[in-house]
Amino acid sequence: MTAPNITAELDQQSQPSCAAARGASRPQPSDSELALEAKGIVKSYMIGGQSRPVLDGIDFQLKSGECVFLAGPSGSGKTTLLSILGLLLTSDSGQLYLRGRRVEGLGEVERTLIRREQIGFVFQRFQLINGLTAEDNVSIPLTMDGVPLGEARERAGELLSRIGLADHRHALPSSMSPGQCQRVALARAVIAQPELILADEPTAALDGKSGKDVMELLRQLTTEFSSSTVVVTHDPRIFEYADRICEMENGSFTS
Amino acid sequence: MRWNLAYRTLFHDRGKLIAGLVGVIFSVVLVNIQGGLFFGLIHKASMLVDRSNADIWVGHRGMHNVDFAHPIPERWRYVVAGIEGVNEVQPLRVEFGEISLPGGGYENVVLVGIPPATELGRPYRIVDGPGNALDLHDAIIVDRCDSTKLKSPEVGELREVNGRRVRVAGKSNGILSFLVTPYVFTNYDDAVELAGSDPSETSYLLVSVADGADREQICQQIKALLPDVEAMTAEEYASVSINFWMTRTGLGLSFGAATMLGLLVGLVMVGQTLYAMVLDRISEYATLRAIGLSERELMCILAFQSALVATIGIAIGMVITVILKTLLSTPRATIDIPFMLYVGCGVLIFAICLFASGLPYFRVRRIDPHTALQS
Repeated sequence: MTAPNITAELDQQSQPSCAAARGASRPQPSDSELALEAKGIVKSYMIGGQSRPVLDGIDFQLKSGECVFLAGPSGSGKTTLLSILGLLLTSDSGQLYLRGRRVEGLGEVERTLIRREQIGFVFQRFQLINGLTAEDNVSIPLTMDGVPLGEARERAGELLSRIGLADHRHALPSSMSPGQCQRVALARAVIAQPELILADEPTAALDGKSGKDVMELLRQLTTEFSSSTVVVTHDPRIFEYADRICEMENGSFTS
Repeated sequence: MRWNLAYRTLFHDRGKLIAGLVGVIFSVVLVNIQGGLFFGLIHKASMLVDRSNADIWVGHRGMHNVDFAHPIPERWRYVVAGIEGVNEVQPLRVEFGEISLPGGGYENVVLVGIPPATELGRPYRIVDGPGNALDLHDAIIVDRCDSTKLKSPEVGELREVNGRRVRVAGKSNGILSFLVTPYVFTNYDDAVELAGSDPSETSYLLVSVADGADREQICQQIKALLPDVEAMTAEEYASVSINFWMTRTGLGLSFGAATMLGLLVGLVMVGQTLYAMVLDRISEYATLRAIGLSERELMCILAFQSALVATIGIAIGMVITVILKTLLSTPRATIDIPFMLYVGCGVLIFAICLFASGLPYFRVRRIDPHTALQS
């Protein structure tokens, strides 16, 4: 099942699932290689003893450097699709390729390793570790990759300084505003320069201005680090930051 | 980073940390004090043996408790004295009797007759009265700790033992019987007279051996020469006396059960606290799993936190135990904590804490990283 054109002309060859976003005037992503490709993704949940389909044969492609938004009403399957793309959930059927490598059938250990090395996550509620400072929170992905803590802190501190949080390097999440926390979470997601950034409602807990600031920063960082991005949102104020928007409803892209 | 993450998150939630520490400290103090009281009490069963300065105790065949002696011929001391390696042999009398109280009542006592002019069988140190108190005629020595039972006897005061007049010539401190009956020390001949027993018999023969002599071998020689007696090294007879009370009274079982209960309570407290800490951080653990922390690494964090709580708790618990021991231990309620009890307790509780981390382990294993997206 393919997704519809929301606002602009749909190029069925290169953008088989979704529409290009209005106002998307950034450099176009590379066609040469797909960062992510999903084919025929099906997922059902057992609810009340009955199987309820959540994703109904989704096809999805993400090019290198591209930023795609998954939009749609609550319960349409956006977050479930994001979880499957991020190897947090397994699909019932379908195929998933990450940089051309088929990954949907991998075991938990390999999936964990791929998440660690290739994917950065941004969560709706920031999901920072409360006991750690901003600097240590941002350091986590580096240290998981084996970077010594001192060096990781140094790099995290530099990144925090670049995003305007130099004064909050040693602040705990509880002492920062939601906007600052989400910027720290963004820094954590990109510091290891993952190929793929997955963001789940990154502006939902923020006011309009903070939300736009965060999206500006997200685009700036993902462009700089050449990461491809999938953002789940139903916040139309930030649609302008998308290269493409995929509208979902009842487990499939709307037609 | 795992260690940084583990201790930062552990110390961030001070309330939970303190609750966990209280559980460990409670267990450490309870086990050590309970164990110390047990050892303090049980060592009273062998106090006469432990402080006898004798290397070998010779008594009736099947002797099983120092306070319950059966007479053996006193002349056998010469047989024992003839064995190579034996330095000195002295008889010791242990008899039951009763002492008169000022109000006209009586108190049962264990009368211990000590041979003169020797250190063998002299377990006490006089803290009140002349050093040669037992050289005085009709003299007895009582212990300060039995003052209440004996209605506050004063040095120089006259009493009766088994209806015969005696004089309190001195007091010792902390020589207490495992039984409720106080020890009353007197010289050997007076003990025979006061007990009205056969002077040709004695309760024990205490043997001192030459330096380097094989005590076990001498015991075997004594038993070979005197088939109707038992000969044991002092350590062995102390152990036999202790085991008598341990096995016949169920004391070991009851103390052991109480100690295990303390461990169990501590285990539950620590396990529950660790579990609560994990529950509070499920969302954080799910986030860490989502961004690439493996289940094994997460378990390492949990085990490290448990080990940290255990180590800090054990250290604080040991300090509190030593303070309590110093403040609360008395000759009557002795808290005797051997070094190995400290070590054993520490190791045991550390192991229990690691075991307790198994409780949240099952919860951590079930963490679905997908839940990080469902906050």
